Amino acid sequence: MTIWLEISVQVPHEGIEMVSYIFDELGAGGVVIEDPALISRGIEADIWDHYEFPPEVLNRTLPIVKAYLPEGPELEDKLVRLQERLSGLPLESIPSFETNPVVEEDWATAWMAYYKPVEIGSRLAVKPSWEEYTPRDNRIVLELDPGMAFGCGNHPTTTMCMEFLEGIIKGGELVADVGTGTGILAITSAKLGADRVLAVDLDSVAVKVAKENVQLNQVADRVTVLEGNLLDRATETVDIVIANIIASVIIVLAPDVLRILKPGGYLIASGIIRFRAEEVKEKLEQTGFRIVEKKEDGEWVSYLSVLEG
Amino acid sequence: MAKKVAAIIKLQIPAGKATPAPPVGPALGQHGVNIMGFVKQYNEVTAAQAGLIIPVEITVYEDRSFTFVTKTPPAAVLLKKALGIETASGEPNKKKVGKVPLSKVREIAELKMPDLNAASVEAAMRMVEGTARSMGIEIVEG
Repeated sequence: MTIWLEISVQVPHEGIEMVSYIFDELGAGGVVIEDPALISRGIEADIWDHYEFPPEVLNRTLPIVKAYLPEGPELEDKLVRLQERLSGLPLESIPSFETNPVVEEDWATAWMAYYKPVEIGSRLAVKPSWEEYTPRDNRIVLELDPGMAFGCGNHPTTTMCMEFLEGIIKGGELVADVGTGTGILAITSAKLGADRVLAVDLDSVAVKVAKENVQLNQVADRVTVLEGNLLDRATETVDIVIANIIASVIIVLAPDVLRILKPGGYLIASGIIRFRAEEVKEKLEQTGFRIVEKKEDGEWVSYLSVLEG
Repeated sequence: MAKKVAAIIKLQIPAGKATPAPPVGPALGQHGVNIMGFVKQYNEVTAAQAGLIIPVEITVYEDRSFTFVTKTPPAAVLLKKALGIETASGEPNKKKVGKVPLSKVREIAELKMPDLNAASVEAAMRMVEGTARSMGIEIVEG
């Protein structure tokens, strides 16, 4: 089994490129850069809806450049060269480094340990394709593999929508899923008995992933996945609209939903951060929706509402 | 869906040739990211730049899904390209491998400006100059 030595160099910002280059010359085959500026830039530019970094990451002041070298006869010599090269860098002080042995594991599959079958509501379960799972009490099983757009039954905004769907789909409905992501809610709708589901997403990666998942779950005859926005894509009125997105998008989207939702139809609005829940509720009510049920999980809120009329 | 950002990981790895071996495996594995999923996507996106090191910034969300954006090649790679050299000096203080005019340093700094987190072009130029010196490349007027 290969043992790797993880080498971490603390270096001021202007030295990141220099240290990366030294590692490149030592044959490291790449580096990891932990740069506090990346995090502060994201926070300042307000590009993330929400974030939570461990304190040791948030409180870091100097960037760290990390590389991995395999243990072996050349390692000692490489460490000597690293020290020499670091000493010669045109920086105010010589960067220090730490080493930490790392035992090789099967990195290609080790991450799979994080994913287990999840039971949701009283009738649903989601499982990754490699896990064995025998459903209890005739649960309907969705199969989803994690990838770039995961959204696999382990996020409260998704599970709350699935629980709402469990309660309102009786069979034969037409459903529109806005911002479908992995397609999980569209697939849930079809598996619960919806007649036809239109799933849309603005992101082409999500559309590709959703199409694969629709195939995997054998509901392609009832679920259509399209790239684009809801209004451009919907050609008929539906019984249920699912919008598991974010508060600001739901607020903008609500009036548009009127044009495709049948009177008496349901809107499931989810992905709402708690502090904006009241704002979303007001907008829904102003638009003509009556809130039927509110679900909360941690910092997330979901509404089930009915279009009056 | 609104997702919470849990980690930002920056890697500098060979375009089109990423593997689950270090640094990718340990860097992403600790966050539960589908490593093969990343490797496949990264290699697809960077295939045309094979032979270069291409930095990538990966945003990992709370549910372990991720997105990434690729960046411009490191300054060292651009400097070598500008000079038409394959390898730089192993002893930058004693052995010089070439000279680069200040105008070229500025050009590289401007190209890399969005990725360097530098406050000004001058600050970015200082980073590029420092990298050049650490490679045994002299900076000359011009």
